[in-house]
Amino acid sequence: MTDEPRLQKFLNHVAGDRGGTVTVFRPISGGYSRLSALATVRWADGSEESFVLRSDPPPDTGVFDSDRDCEWRLLEAISGKLPIHTPRPRWYDPTGQHLGAKCFIVDFFQGRPLSDIAQEPDQLSRAAEIYVDTLAEVHRTPLDVLPPALERPADWESYIEGLVEHLSRLDRDIADSNPALHFVAAQLAAHRPPPVPLTFVHGDAQPANILVPDEGPVLMIDWEFARIGDPREDLGYYSHLPVPPNLYEADPPGFLARYRERTGLTEEQVNEDTVSYFYVLGMARLLGQMFDATDALARGQSRGVMATYMMNGISATTTAFVEVARQLAH
Amino acid sequence: MLSRPTTEQILLDCCRELMTNVLPSLTDATAQVSVIMVETVLRNTAVRAAHEVAWMRDETAEIEAYAQAVAGQAPGTASLETAMTALASAPRDSLHLDDVVETYCRAGNALSAALETAVASGLAPLIQRGEEILDVRSGHETDVMAGWTPTGR
Repeated sequence: MTDEPRLQKFLNHVAGDRGGTVTVFRPISGGYSRLSALATVRWADGSEESFVLRSDPPPDTGVFDSDRDCEWRLLEAISGKLPIHTPRPRWYDPTGQHLGAKCFIVDFFQGRPLSDIAQEPDQLSRAAEIYVDTLAEVHRTPLDVLPPALERPADWESYIEGLVEHLSRLDRDIADSNPALHFVAAQLAAHRPPPVPLTFVHGDAQPANILVPDEGPVLMIDWEFARIGDPREDLGYYSHLPVPPNLYEADPPGFLARYRERTGLTEEQVNEDTVSYFYVLGMARLLGQMFDATDALARGQSRGVMATYMMNGISATTTAFVEVARQLAH
Repeated sequence: MLSRPTTEQILLDCCRELMTNVLPSLTDATAQVSVIMVETVLRNTAVRAAHEVAWMRDETAEIEAYAQAVAGQAPGTASLETAMTALASAPRDSLHLDDVVETYCRAGNALSAALETAVASGLAPLIQRGEEILDVRSGHETDVMAGWTPTGR
């Protein structure tokens, strides 16, 4: 686990000529996946900088898994290339040799989480506009700025087919069975929405991952699940996120009209039904990770209390999936 | 064996202990979150312990009848026939939890295959019946959740 002494030693190693001293080190709680911390460093010339550290949890713990190497490569590739800000990468310990776990360090960004702004009733509309505009900017990212290692689906049809098949196979290799997934996958296969061009997708696009400064473009964080996919996956993923206030649920027609205006997609492509469809596909990967974590316990390998705690998340998610499938069919 | 207090009562008593005596004495935020999660899991487990055997056996009987009805309408579906054969040989007479779970999982696989078959074949009344069976399963899961809501980001 990364801590202040490890960070001090790491800075001595990667920036020894600057004579930095860690003056603040504070873990950031609340995330479901990576371990984060905020640190302030005073350099020998008297200047100060603040950083955010993002590291892997201990092996075989936690629920949600992602590849730190991929996230670091992505951050390096997109830094300065998007109309919005992305975390400015500074250093990476790819082996955990210095920081105790794979861990990267990015510049701290002074901004307020959009989720906090949305809590103010008179700021709800503004928050929704910022959210939609940010998402549209991500989805307009030219694909050629992305790292070559990022998987590029052959076409929309095969991509969607693969996602639906993935959903129906989530319980294939686990000890439990989940018939709801098979029903939902069958209905999704039978009621496919119109295609759209594949784009850069954030994968965890929620207001808590958007930091709003007093002036200038926002910063979007937590790119661990970013990929090339259907942009409606981001819309769908957020549409059912049970963290109030949900900016989509507040006004779905207005939310979607603004998104269509920003992206040029049509109402046939982006409407409440297609968003529901992609809620399922946008959540399927994370649901699969929840299954894997609980299955580990069924096989005698505890991943910690978060895994069993999130069994409720599996129940809530599959119930919502069935409701979507039912709506699609009727 | 000692049967009263029931497993549900014992687990709920552990929950009370955690929330009234352990949690207030903790100052570390991470440990506090862990205790809150453990308490939630214990409450979920208490509900499961009280009802899971009856729920699984009742659902299994309904699923088996449903799978047979679908197989009757769409004969020759290999995945469904395979799942039903596996269910037929399940340890269904035993009330030991591992055996009940094994039987229920095989029933779940049969239900999965039956639902896929019903949707692919457009068997509207059987699709509706399948949804009703899923609703029962979902209702039990909701009971187990005991008012759980997600937190964090």
